[in-house]
Amino acid sequence: MAAPSRLPLLQFCSTRVFLLRCTQGFHGEPVVREPAYPPVIPSRTAKSKSAKKRREEDYYNQVRAASLVQDKLRLLTRLQRKKYVVYPQTFTLNADRWYQHFTKTVFLPGLPGKCSVGRQVVDKENGKVPSAAGGVDPTVLDENTFSELRSLVGNGILQENFYLKKRRPFLQKEQEHFVAPFLSNLVSSVTSSLAKYNPLLKMSSLDFNPEVSFYWMRGERTVPRGHRRGRVDPIRFQINDQPHCQIRVPEQLEEFLPLQESVSAEVPVVHFEPNRLPMFQRQYDNNIFIGSKVTDPCSYGHTQFHLVHDRFKRGRLIKGNLADQVEVRLRANAIASLFAWTGAQAMYQGFWSHEDLTRPFVSQAVVTDGQYFSFFCYQLNTLALTVQTDQDNPRKNICWGTESMRLYEQVKDGEVVGLNDDVLKLLVNFLLNKPQKM
Amino acid sequence: MVIDLKCACLYLSRYPLYQLGNPQLRIFRTNFFMTLVKPGKEQPPDTVQFRIPMEMTKCDIKNYLEKIYSVPVGAVRTRIQYCTNKKRNHLNQRVKRPDYKVAYVQLVQQQTFQFPEIFPQKDTALEPGSVEEMQDQFMQDEQQRQKADPRRGGVTEWFGL
Repeated sequence: MAAPSRLPLLQFCSTRVFLLRCTQGFHGEPVVREPAYPPVIPSRTAKSKSAKKRREEDYYNQVRAASLVQDKLRLLTRLQRKKYVVYPQTFTLNADRWYQHFTKTVFLPGLPGKCSVGRQVVDKENGKVPSAAGGVDPTVLDENTFSELRSLVGNGILQENFYLKKRRPFLQKEQEHFVAPFLSNLVSSVTSSLAKYNPLLKMSSLDFNPEVSFYWMRGERTVPRGHRRGRVDPIRFQINDQPHCQIRVPEQLEEFLPLQESVSAEVPVVHFEPNRLPMFQRQYDNNIFIGSKVTDPCSYGHTQFHLVHDRFKRGRLIKGNLADQVEVRLRANAIASLFAWTGAQAMYQGFWSHEDLTRPFVSQAVVTDGQYFSFFCYQLNTLALTVQTDQDNPRKNICWGTESMRLYEQVKDGEVVGLNDDVLKLLVNFLLNKPQKM
Repeated sequence: MVIDLKCACLYLSRYPLYQLGNPQLRIFRTNFFMTLVKPGKEQPPDTVQFRIPMEMTKCDIKNYLEKIYSVPVGAVRTRIQYCTNKKRNHLNQRVKRPDYKVAYVQLVQQQTFQFPEIFPQKDTALEPGSVEEMQDQFMQDEQQRQKADPRRGGVTEWFGL
């Protein structure tokens, strides 16, 4: 029977080996390696608030990292949910206050200094008028051109109401029958005659019946019933607008007010849910569109022309005890349409609610029902309207607007009676608006 | 059309639909009534809520308020509230709670309307020194004594020292 060896093990792994092992690393410094742990971040898939936050953060980073604008827009509009559809021309009462709340817009009566009727019409002999404060270019519009414009406008009115023999239109188609062709005529003729004074108009694109749409989120609500009860959801809005015509330009217009300047007026706050307006929810494609696709060179807006529908004409409102709503509805139309247009322009340049604007976007609009014209200017200063991004955001969007003014009194015996020059001058001012460097 | 004395009830006969050529419909002394109610959910300040009979339409409401009460009306919206047919009585027969129509009327020119508080909250301030006040105080002290020690953090006192 072999006795187990009681010799210590260390005799065999002798000191020589021990020494050998020691000598190998003896001359250098002991290698100190920091323990490399992965970063401690919350899970992606757990059912916890931190996991939800992490998923949201990952989504925002994904949108920020998207290189192409089309990819960004696709990521932001991919998910479809129920959203409130905002109609710029609406039958609801006091819609302008609600729309101002949804778009964080301040309304200032009157027009900004640049566009007001300070531009004088002088003869060629007297020389140029000194430029007004605000950097308006000193283009002189001489009497001949102005009278030419007057005759163009007068002819346009007479063409539709006097020269052409037209059938009596069917119910609620008067605007389409009489006013829409006059407006197209007016816009195209005035734009082409003013093109020699405004080189921007030569490069512009005039669209008829374009589609303008915008999708945004503002505010939050707790879901009251259903399997998602108790969860907090943002309130989504969508505008699908069809102005009568619009002018798109390749260069951006100059801002009316600097971005950081604060306006004293307040944005009206409405504490009710949008469905009390009443506004209704639907779920369909989330569209963001300025009238042309992203790759179009004319990606900035200049002026939109809106035609008031038959349902919202002055006569009908006054008959229905809503005489004060006439101006309210024009304002609501302008605010909603211009916010959608400028917002879509900004998104085409890659800005969105978490990457706010670095420069303001400016557009103009003219709302008319054939006889009464009102002029509006809009400056978009911020797209950060969600609850998360709006907390420390002092910027507000600004809308300037006029009351409605008559272009002409009536058409009598082949003559336009009472053509108002101020309205024409304002229209000319609007169309001659261009960035200073041009 | 003046209401005939024979058929006094307006909505037993057919609703007087208008066709081109009919004489102007005139109704004197209506047979239907509107009830002003307090809104269940918060409404904007220019909205007034009514309960109306099922046969009334938006135009009827507008004319009713304008002609009889001289209240100019901006917009009217209506809806029908369906009430349950599920309840059963002691004979196990289904009992229908009647449906009703609700109208939301928006007033013109920024006028507002607030439904008044019919049952105002009374502040139950007991007189100091009265019997009720001493009883109330005693009950409160008793409840305070029955409560567990908050320092135990909800742990029961069945075990322990």
